[in-house]
Amino acid sequence: MARMKFYCDAERCIECNACVTACKNENEVPWGVNRRRVITIKDGEPGERSLSVACMHCSDAPCAAVCPVDCFYTTADGVVLHDKDICIGCGYCFYACPFGAPQFPEDGAFASRGKMDKCTFCAGGPEEDHSAAEHTKYGSNRLAEGKLPLCAEMCSTKALLAGDANVVSDIYRKRVVNRGASVMEWGVGYENGSLRATRGMKGKSSSDS
Amino acid sequence: MHSQTSVQKFSLMHWWLSSLLVLMVTLGSSSVLAEQAGNKVSPIAVPNPGADLWNEVRQRNAESNGRTQIRGTDSAEFMRVSGEEFRDYRLSLLIPYAPYFLVGMLVLLAATFIVKGRIKIPDGRSGQVIKRFETFDRVVHWYVAILFIFLALTGLLLLLGRYAVLPVFGKESFGLIASACKEGHNLFGPPFLVGIVLMAMRFAAKNIPNMVDVKWLLKAGGAFGGHPQAGYFNAGEKIWFWLVTIIGLGLCVSGLILLFPNFEQGREYLQWALVAHGVGAVVLITLSFGHMYVGSVGMEGSLDSMSTGYVDSNWAKSHHDLWYQEVMQRQSADNPKSS
Repeated sequence: MARMKFYCDAERCIECNACVTACKNENEVPWGVNRRRVITIKDGEPGERSLSVACMHCSDAPCAAVCPVDCFYTTADGVVLHDKDICIGCGYCFYACPFGAPQFPEDGAFASRGKMDKCTFCAGGPEEDHSAAEHTKYGSNRLAEGKLPLCAEMCSTKALLAGDANVVSDIYRKRVVNRGASVMEWGVGYENGSLRATRGMKGKSSSDS
Repeated sequence: MHSQTSVQKFSLMHWWLSSLLVLMVTLGSSSVLAEQAGNKVSPIAVPNPGADLWNEVRQRNAESNGRTQIRGTDSAEFMRVSGEEFRDYRLSLLIPYAPYFLVGMLVLLAATFIVKGRIKIPDGRSGQVIKRFETFDRVVHWYVAILFIFLALTGLLLLLGRYAVLPVFGKESFGLIASACKEGHNLFGPPFLVGIVLMAMRFAAKNIPNMVDVKWLLKAGGAFGGHPQAGYFNAGEKIWFWLVTIIGLGLCVSGLILLFPNFEQGREYLQWALVAHGVGAVVLITLSFGHMYVGSVGMEGSLDSMSTGYVDSNWAKSHHDLWYQEVMQRQSADNPKSS
């Protein structure tokens, strides 16, 4: 069976937020929840990189481990999903996730938590595939149609890769090999050596100091 | 314009020179490092530049925080490792050891009862009673006590229910039970805070420690060496009062932090609040078993004080002799004719 993973290629991400928009539109995400977000580190400085992060669908998911009602389950494809009917909205999964993927709608009084919502790898939930109930609660089920998550499909630069981990890592490996010389040649750090630092062309790139 | 051949030649020469330079740098630096490391294998002299990027993402020696278009307290953080530490603490420390504390205390109390039995009032009941607690005292105490038991039960179900109760009832039913527990726990937390504050205000003055308490503790409350003197509250009661007040307030404050996450507390604060809440709760529940034991089964005559407000005078003479003397003096001062 495939093990589904995301990988965001920091060299290609241009922070366009198409993944964010696609996810919100496709899955009709509750108000206050941001299933996917793009984070930029070193904004405006040499070595600026962006990464798109949502749920990492961990093999040993901390959210599943701390849930007091055990409402999480991992599908055969390695996708971590949960059952909103069992969820009690306690928030422990939100505390435990290193990426802040499980989130809660903010329309209750004093942000009292409703049911947890998170990235489902566009694989829906425990309801019957393609049913109206599933769509309302969990968003679209693209995996059951044989499609990949919309965020990765919509990525303008194919920075965000989603799919079987072996396939994804193969794609990324080829990219690294092709890029390799420009970065590794002089043993420079990522700030100073990348596709964006055009070699030797002074003044032509923002990463020139 | 360079001809293609000379460009190719130039590139080839460039490649050779740069490789040579890299080789020299590598060998040179690795020998320096090897020297520094003694006879150990020299580390990679040309590190993977991706390592710097991912260290930055993980905020190890990070120079700047991330930025994001998404509004949210922790949204600009890619990774927060303390989530894993929280999971570790919860699954390896709190959940495995809490039952030992709770059940262990019950076993200890059962053993004490079996060995010592119910501690009787010396010389039996006299039939005369002294007023010990006002109505307000008793109302506040039972208000706090009942809420405490409710919060303890619902809280323990949330902590341990997945392992103790869910296998019995199944996920759907336990989900319903747990949801009710969570709502109940959240609803009755703030009233508990009100009760704790009222109780603290009411009894704080009578619980200031003094030398009598030190002597009481040295005799372990009469466990060895005869019954020590005690005032209105003995040292054990004073310790219990301050534990309840301080740990109880800690539980309430951490509970409020968790209950109202709309004040932009990030995951870090919420994690610490939950850690404090869990540890404080387990400690307080464990000790409350002792309080409940002494106040009911453990000692004859102690429940009377909180249920009726009056205590037997022999009980008072034995356990709180200084207070008993004060009361007797006041009574004889009020009624100079009676002896």
